[in-house]
Amino acid sequence: MRNLNRRNFLKTAAIGISAGALGTSSIKASDKSLSEDRIGILVDTDVCVGCRHCEWACRTAHEFPACDLEEYSDISVFEKYRRPDNTSLTVINQFENEKNPLLPIYVKVQCMHCEKPACVSACIVGALTKLEDGSVVWDDSKCIGCRYCMVACQFQIPTYDYDKAIDPHIWKCDLCRDRRIRDKLPACVEICPNEALVFGKRSEVLSIARKRIKRKPDVYVEHIYGENEIGGTSWMYIAGKSFDKLKMPPLGKETAPGISEAIQHGIFSYFVPPVALFALLGTLMWVNKHKRGESDTEIESTDPDKEESEF
Amino acid sequence: MRKILYILVPLVLTFFLVITAALPQSGSEIQEVRARNTPEKSQINKVHDDPAVLNNSNLKCKTCHTSEYPTPKDPGLTDCPRENLVSVYQSPKEGPESVAIVEMSDKYTGVIFPHRVHAEMSEMSTGCAGCHHYNTSGPILNCRNCHEKSRNREDVSVPDLKAAFHRQCMSCHKQWSGENGCNSICHKRKDITKDNITSTNISKTHPELPEPGKITWETNSNINKTVTFFHDEHIKLFKIKCTSCHTSESCIRCHTPKVQSDLNKPVKIEKSIEEHHKPCINCHYGNKCTKCHSDKEMSPFDHGKTSGWVLSTYHKDLLCSGCHGNQMPYRKLGTKCVSCHRDFAAEFDHKLKGFTFSEAHSELECANCHVGKDFTKNPVCSDCHDDKSFPGDIPGEKPGK
Repeated sequence: MRNLNRRNFLKTAAIGISAGALGTSSIKASDKSLSEDRIGILVDTDVCVGCRHCEWACRTAHEFPACDLEEYSDISVFEKYRRPDNTSLTVINQFENEKNPLLPIYVKVQCMHCEKPACVSACIVGALTKLEDGSVVWDDSKCIGCRYCMVACQFQIPTYDYDKAIDPHIWKCDLCRDRRIRDKLPACVEICPNEALVFGKRSEVLSIARKRIKRKPDVYVEHIYGENEIGGTSWMYIAGKSFDKLKMPPLGKETAPGISEAIQHGIFSYFVPPVALFALLGTLMWVNKHKRGESDTEIESTDPDKEESEF
Repeated sequence: MRKILYILVPLVLTFFLVITAALPQSGSEIQEVRARNTPEKSQINKVHDDPAVLNNSNLKCKTCHTSEYPTPKDPGLTDCPRENLVSVYQSPKEGPESVAIVEMSDKYTGVIFPHRVHAEMSEMSTGCAGCHHYNTSGPILNCRNCHEKSRNREDVSVPDLKAAFHRQCMSCHKQWSGENGCNSICHKRKDITKDNITSTNISKTHPELPEPGKITWETNSNINKTVTFFHDEHIKLFKIKCTSCHTSESCIRCHTPKVQSDLNKPVKIEKSIEEHHKPCINCHYGNKCTKCHSDKEMSPFDHGKTSGWVLSTYHKDLLCSGCHGNQMPYRKLGTKCVSCHRDFAAEFDHKLKGFTFSEAHSELECANCHVGKDFTKNPVCSDCHDDKSFPGDIPGEKPGK
């Protein structure tokens, strides 16, 4: 801290600004420069059998305590609806299948990795970033625990270590970033026995989804959840039942950060409005000061008492 | 002189052009290509003329060929046509008894899949095509031929091998057991067992299904209460395949899931009126209600009683539709041979009756012996011979003599 003198501070600030201007691999939520080959994952709920192996794999991959894989075949957990929390970043929920009661519908829940993520937009310290490959990741070292991301997310995904007094973390699916660096698939995709999770390029995965719906129109409803929802998401779903009955929030095509960012970023874009504002204020002050200065001199000349008081 | 040149030069040129075009030179290359491909031609025809291909109205050229103008040399075939094409049918006994699946994770042992019992069970549902989908008219392919081993791969539109196996097994087994785990029937954990392979149900076959004879139903109707269905007649006499009615039977059709003690107790399934009629209506579309619904139990079918014409020797084994057409109610036919066999006399081979004509008899007209061309009665010899009569005497020789 002692080294951070005025000169050093200005240096770092200058570097920071120039880096921000040039742009790194991370991009802000409203930016459109995502990679053409960015990741897409299709959840085919018609193929999922609800074995919950993905839950086990996710926990193991993120070094959370996980019980034996065999214990995950317990179907009693489906009795109540579950959400991802700080101990499991993905969960499977069961829904009734009217077409065949013996084969219920299973829906996996995890971070959707939005194309235009609200959490990234809401994060005030830039701890959350949307990477070029489509994944939304976060940096623990930057996070200050404000939990704005939790409020911003329309899928209510980010979770928080409420039980930890010291060093609590924000948690959500990171698409197994560590595994992908080692050229491995996300843990849930790799373990799925039925390949209900199709991992590939978003464009390809979308066309696979369309083909599956076209090939089995009696099985699927004609809707790819996540294709357009809040500007599109990396995870997409196809199902044999309307998605609002599968507790997927009905969302429009408008992106969440679209309006808020337009205002916020407009105000601060290229630092022009603040500079202009301060310039305006400065000018006003300068003008005012000059006016006062003129009147002061007038007073000076007419008030002899003041001269006396100075002495 | 110049005028003649003006006419002659173009004439000669055209003649030359015609000659070059007509010469076999340019054609020889095509012929060569064809000759090179003749061994494959039978293969092409085998696929194109296959009934499974001919009768599948969903098939278009583009289903299998990607290129605009496929040639024998460059057919531009798609990897997987994704249309049900299986035409190679094997009975369960012809197929393998069991199949070893050894491409397994570190956690679980390999699996022995009892192929025969599954083939038997599939006979009244999807048949071979249920698992061996998109098989062309060639040999029956197994899962490994099309499904890649690696999950981390380029083309993710087709499921990988692990998924292909599991998708085939799990939808039925889950309905059957209601379980979500993987160790009950197929898998064992490597750290629990010493075996390298899990061999549950190996060489198990489905017990033979009891074939019902006559089934009667009492309906709620006031008139014509009783419906009699002769199951055995439909199989033996009318030669209808099991699969033409039993199209989508599954385990749970007969066995209640979960309750193992009730395995031998058939489950009564409530059906709507439409569903009840569906298997019959498929063929009996044009028949009146009274064809099946009557005030008392019906007696078995007898061609002699119904039509006054007893089916004998050659006619016994014929299919009903062979004479009566495919439309229900069946077309009524006359009792004379010529009412079906229009040019019966010209065609009939008397060897079928056990003799060949002697030279003297071979020149005769049919009506000379068969009075009034009525072939149902015995022929008459007394017009020419005083002391001969059929079948004691024959107008020729028995073959082999």
